[in-house]
Amino acid sequence: MILLEKINKFYRQGNQMVHILHDISLTIEQGEFVGIMGQSGSGKSTLINIIGFLDRQYQGDYIFKDENISKYNNKKLTTLRNQNVGFVFQNFKLIQNMSVAENVALPLMYAGFKKKTIRKKVSDVLTKVGLAGYERSVPTQLSGGQQQRVSIARAIIGNPTFLIADEPTGALDSQTSKEIMTLFKDLNTTNKTTIIIVTHDPQVGQQMDRLLTILDGHLTSDSGVHKNEI
Amino acid sequence: MIGIIIGIASVITIIALGNGVKQKMISEFQTSNSGEQTTEISYDGEESASSGFTTSDVSQVKQQFGRELSHVEFKKDTNNISINSATVGNSNVGTSLSLLKSPMSSSRLIYGRNLSKADLALDQHLILLSSKLAKKVYGNAKNALGTAIMINGISYRVKGIFKPSGYDKYSVNFLLSQKTYYSGTTINRANTLKLTVKKGYGASKVTNEVVSYLKKHGQNRRAGNYSYFDEGALLKSISTVMDVLTYFISAIAGISLFIAGIGVMNMMYISVSERTQEIGIRLAVGATQKNILWQFLMESIMLTVGGGLVGFLIGWGFSSMISLLIPYHIHAIVTLGNFLLAFGVSSAVGIIFGLLPATQASKRNLIDILR
Ligand SMILES: Nc1ncnc2c1ncn2[C@@H]1O[C@H](COP(=O)(O)OP(=O)(O)O)[C@@H](O)[C@H]1O
Ligand SMILES: [Mg+2]
Repeated sequence: MILLEKINKFYRQGNQMVHILHDISLTIEQGEFVGIMGQSGSGKSTLINIIGFLDRQYQGDYIFKDENISKYNNKKLTTLRNQNVGFVFQNFKLIQNMSVAENVALPLMYAGFKKKTIRKKVSDVLTKVGLAGYERSVPTQLSGGQQQRVSIARAIIGNPTFLIADEPTGALDSQTSKEIMTLFKDLNTTNKTTIIIVTHDPQVGQQMDRLLTILDGHLTSDSGVHKNEI
Repeated sequence: MIGIIIGIASVITIIALGNGVKQKMISEFQTSNSGEQTTEISYDGEESASSGFTTSDVSQVKQQFGRELSHVEFKKDTNNISINSATVGNSNVGTSLSLLKSPMSSSRLIYGRNLSKADLALDQHLILLSSKLAKKVYGNAKNALGTAIMINGISYRVKGIFKPSGYDKYSVNFLLSQKTYYSGTTINRANTLKLTVKKGYGASKVTNEVVSYLKKHGQNRRAGNYSYFDEGALLKSISTVMDVLTYFISAIAGISLFIAGIGVMNMMYISVSERTQEIGIRLAVGATQKNILWQFLMESIMLTVGGGLVGFLIGWGFSSMISLLIPYHIHAIVTLGNFLLAFGVSSAVGIIFGLLPATQASKRNLIDILR
């Protein structure tokens, strides 16, 4: 489903170009549960932003569902992103002055669903992440783990093709991290949602079906079935 | 927001009071409902009972201007009418009198009793005498009470003594009922001619024509002069001045609104940069740049329209309050047009000054925001 071929990424730092990603090639199939590991600053976020259609300034080819999207313009990419990707962030990124239900409803609202449908789907998805009945709470009343569940609910409510989580447990203690990882795993096994998680926590990494390791912008190891492609 | 409120409030206050003044002036010089308009021609000349407009003048004017005029009549003078001779006690005096339609203020009365409403309505032949003349003729003013006075061959009984004043209708020696004075006498001359101009003819044009006609053919044209005071023209020029004044002050208020608009823009800028995170989140969960643009545009319009409505109400209240405080019975008048003006201006300010920050907001680079 996702096919990256020789992706190179440069950032301008001052007046010199810094080479961040070196010839990254990989494939990710529907339903996979993939982890990306590596030290801080190795380029994980840069890579996942490209995968999640947030960044289009790169060299190389990105084939998504048999279509080369590396030359897409901003508008087309935005449409593609809105239809296919759910994001989970390290610091949850909930809108503080809106209720849990309103936060979770945002993707459906922008997709133009009816209010009644939205309300039903919101309560369904909140049940799924273990937050049934929290509709009217505001983010500040919730613990870190609960807030991350809300943001996961928001990421999956629109039934995205794949889910991207950049260090989703980075701001959580180890017990809560475990619960969140269990939730991701459940979503992957029961809903067959493709999930790509970035982490620098080896404990988290071990729970993945497949683990990609990045070192200084090079893909150094791939524990999955596609090892031969490196 | 405060800027918008103050700006709109001041514009509405000024316009409402301006409307009030204009309306007041127009009602002072009212045209009749049928669209007919009345004008008056006055005659200035020697004060002799034989001068002024005569019955033959009236019939000639009627004949000449039958097409344009629906009525030509003497205006019954009520104030400061001069009379050649009146007999008070044993002396004959040439003097003047004023006629009453409603009773004189009782504070003027010195001795005796005032003329009541009933006295004025019935043909009572009662009269009020000025204290000045009473003292002159009788020594003690009180002695004049109950005595008879002959005016134009008709006798009146003195019911009270009043205190005369300097210039107005009370500067005369006699006050009596208008009804009584004119009853029985058909007036055959007057110093003022009242014209009623038919609908569709320019009142001032027709009246001026009548004046020129009278100057050539009027019976007493050699003893005096005919003149017409064009109230309509005066009214027109006053209301033009008022209009100019209103526009001028509105322009000043407009400038303050513009400054208020820049305040709104500044506020939206701050709000946009403060809410960068929110914008990023919304973009990440499916909002398009258009959605973000609309959101911020709507917020700034809501802000300014809200401010505009509040300002409108404040301006309304404020101008009504002022109209209560000033002595000329001017009502603050707020029209639907004024409301639309406040509404339109504030939403325009919202759109114009909200657009820039809104565009800015929608163009933010998502990766930069979400880092
Ligand atoms: N917008 C940017 N401009 C310049 N350099 C950047 C930018 N974003 C990231 N970098 C650099 O790219 C490298 C990789 O960053 P990142 O992908 O965030 O690493 P990781 O997520 O693995 O910690 C870092 O050295 C960082 O300094
Ligand atoms: Mg990172």
